[in-house]
Amino acid sequence: MPNAEYFATTELREALRLLAERGDQITVLAGGTDLAPKFNCRELQPGALLYIGKLGLNYIIAKNGGLAIGAATTLEDLATSRLVLERAPVLAQAAAEMGNPAIRNVATIGGNLVTASRAADMPPPLLALDAELILVSERGERVIPIGEFFKRAHKTVRLSDELLTEIRIPSVKGQTAFVRHGRRKIFSCCVASAAVRVVLDGGKCADARIVAGSMAPTPVRCLGAEGVLKGKNLTSDLAGEAAAQAVGECKPIDDERASAWYRRRVIKVLIERAINQASGL
Amino acid sequence: MPRNEGTTARPARHEIRKPESAVNVQTETAYKYIGKPTPRYDGIAQVTGTNAYVDDIRLPGMLTVKVLRAPVLKANLLNVDVSGAARVRGVAAVISAKDVPGGYYGMYGDQPVLADREIRYKGQVIAAVAAVDQDAALEAVEQIKLDLEELPAVLDPEEAMKPDTPKVRPEGNIWSFDGGPFRKVRLGDVDRGFAEADHIVEGTYTTPMQEQSPMETSCSVAMVESGDQLVIRSLSQSPYLHLRQLSNVLKLPMNKMRLVGGNTGGAFGGRFEIHTDHVAGLLALKTRKPVKWRWTREEETLYSTHRGRWKFYFKDGVKKDGRIVARYVRTLHDTGAYTGMGPYCVEKNAMMVAGPFNIPNIAIDGYCVFTNRTPSGAMRGFGVMAGQVCEEIQMHRMAEILGMDPWEIRFVNAWREGDMTATGKVVDNVGAIECMQAVAKLAGIDLPERLKAMSSREKRG
Amino acid sequence: MKYVLSFTVNGQPMETLAEPTTSLLDVLRDKLEVTSPKRGCESGDCGACTVLVNGKAVPSCLTVALTVAGSEITTVEGLVQDGQLHPLQRAFYEHGATQCGFCTCGMLMAAKALLDRNPSPTRDEIVLGMSGNLCRCGGYVQVMEAIEDVAGRKYEVKAADTRGGK
Repeated sequence: MPNAEYFATTELREALRLLAERGDQITVLAGGTDLAPKFNCRELQPGALLYIGKLGLNYIIAKNGGLAIGAATTLEDLATSRLVLERAPVLAQAAAEMGNPAIRNVATIGGNLVTASRAADMPPPLLALDAELILVSERGERVIPIGEFFKRAHKTVRLSDELLTEIRIPSVKGQTAFVRHGRRKIFSCCVASAAVRVVLDGGKCADARIVAGSMAPTPVRCLGAEGVLKGKNLTSDLAGEAAAQAVGECKPIDDERASAWYRRRVIKVLIERAINQASGL
Repeated sequence: MPRNEGTTARPARHEIRKPESAVNVQTETAYKYIGKPTPRYDGIAQVTGTNAYVDDIRLPGMLTVKVLRAPVLKANLLNVDVSGAARVRGVAAVISAKDVPGGYYGMYGDQPVLADREIRYKGQVIAAVAAVDQDAALEAVEQIKLDLEELPAVLDPEEAMKPDTPKVRPEGNIWSFDGGPFRKVRLGDVDRGFAEADHIVEGTYTTPMQEQSPMETSCSVAMVESGDQLVIRSLSQSPYLHLRQLSNVLKLPMNKMRLVGGNTGGAFGGRFEIHTDHVAGLLALKTRKPVKWRWTREEETLYSTHRGRWKFYFKDGVKKDGRIVARYVRTLHDTGAYTGMGPYCVEKNAMMVAGPFNIPNIAIDGYCVFTNRTPSGAMRGFGVMAGQVCEEIQMHRMAEILGMDPWEIRFVNAWREGDMTATGKVVDNVGAIECMQAVAKLAGIDLPERLKAMSSREKRG
Repeated sequence: MKYVLSFTVNGQPMETLAEPTTSLLDVLRDKLEVTSPKRGCESGDCGACTVLVNGKAVPSCLTVALTVAGSEITTVEGLVQDGQLHPLQRAFYEHGATQCGFCTCGMLMAAKALLDRNPSPTRDEIVLGMSGNLCRCGGYVQVMEAIEDVAGRKYEVKAADTRGGK
């Protein structure tokens, strides 16, 4: 676009002003790994870019027993952060399996959430951790539980004048696991993923989160599968039962990476594996 | 703008270390180079980033090319109006079929450089723009108006062989070999062989298309130098073949053209056919400026030549002891919308598909079929790979049916000195047996003594 | 519209103009004539465009150029120092880790970033560190061996060895 504009302010106030003024007419740019391929082939020709890399949104802070993560935090920082590995290892695990080292140096957690691809890897672990997202605008601040953030593929509740600034992970109990499947082991878009958290109370499962990724337009909290585990002693058989239940809660599609048929079979294995790993079975 | 002065093209002198991981080579020989590891002569240039691939070349005033590609599989191309495109600011030239001075290209000379009155595959190049930058070129492409009459297309090669399917080309969808619909290879009498056999084993196999996907996408830089010589920096794998074709297309004698190659970012057969040299050459001649046409990865994947799809039908007659007494193979190669190297591919395949085996009765019917797909071309083991993969699966299945070790069935049938190929050549210096013995050893497989004792040198009685 | 873009490339300050959506790869190759990073795919899928920004490997085709204003960019052109090949360049050459060479520059920068961060990686760490670089000629084994060779020598790497001039 001949008269495209570029803004890279260091002031959040200025960024919010631009968003309030221009809304959909300005494209928010974080790492750019989702947007740049579209710029390169001219599929996207934005009239204005708002680069948020200078707003100081790249941070990982201990907060209230959990974490506060800036939206512009890179995947590499997430994958290697001592704090994340201590308090939310499932998030570090997911980040470490995304893309490749160079992409992880540039891509951000916020970008992955806002792009909201069906195959996004950050949503499932965040759902398992009961995360909250902070959306900020000139009108104020909204705190959105992650389960309410995604409307459908590529669409979130973020309004055009809002900026995702922070991801908050509360202090959560339990053990987690993340298992991901792609056409290749590394550097491959997600075909199906499972993020699981189980809270064990003397051998019984007091609480559970079972999340399937890349299995529906948005990440799926498999509530029925969680119900299978709650209040019971966890065994491999029970894990299998829960996984079988979860399959019915997903709505996979055929796409260039895999068929729905295949995804249904894979997610059953992944969820069972994740439950077993999380429970130490 | 300050340039980076810090690099030099030549490294300091240093010891060339023999890499420890290299296969154990005798270094203490009378030879200086033979039998010794030798680094690539262009290795230093590669690791210092100083060798120039075609896209690295920048010449003063160089223009960028973008093309308009056919949006449908098949159509009558009634009119191409480039007037709007030519008016876009920064555009130096726009060409379509009427601007091609000479004929068609391809091994059989049947492929138009720019679509000429018909479209035969989606993505076929219709018109080309040379402009000062990519944005101007893309804008101009959007201004080109097409008048098309879309027609029914055929994508399945077996459908394409039926009499009442849409014709991909006027001569019909089946290539003619010596006046017949297939390349015929005959040795002995397969019907007699089938009658003698203890088992008949049939199998149908298909292989998909495969894109070579070299790291570098197709690219040419063309320029008229010294007043009248067209110099093309090219990725061609067959410069002389292509020079002849370009001479025919551009109506230039070969001594007025030069292909400069030597730095190709991979090819694997994909550069055996012209992709960009012809259009770049045409535009360089028209504008008298250097012209670069580089394909995007999307263009490379969708529109470059690729290993074509095949279907094989095997019918084997085999004795209880594993000897194959008759083999019939019907092959079907989808060559796409233009001939390219399809017939050559089918013939090569027909020679080899029966495998390195002593079979007294062989019949091969090799079909080369046209569909409205991107023309196929060469890729690694051109014409042979697909056939061998399927033939080997067929051998495995035969072994299963006979209850025989899959190694054994191959040893039993493998050529010995003096055996005959499907095309009637007496073989000598063959080594399938020794090769399999070496492979088994490397893989830690202990073959039965009977197989270990076999040799290619033992002539059959 | 075009914006002034200043950064350092291989220790040299450079200034050019760039549009908001222009990639770092396009700026380096087309404006600054730094042609070692290659255009393999322009979608972040191959690694041939890998360069270092402030010492970290990035896919330059996916990096919006204006976002790295003021940074230190390192490319293969900056690896040779005082006419001496960088140990990685020497190892790639000696081990025959190049075939067509198109992936080589991306491989070298990814390898440098890996060794700068972790001078003695295990084979698995090398594989992971190089996982973003594709080679269609099939030269992976020799690339691994070249990197292991350099790592094995306990090669001393300064984190920012493009600074300081010659």
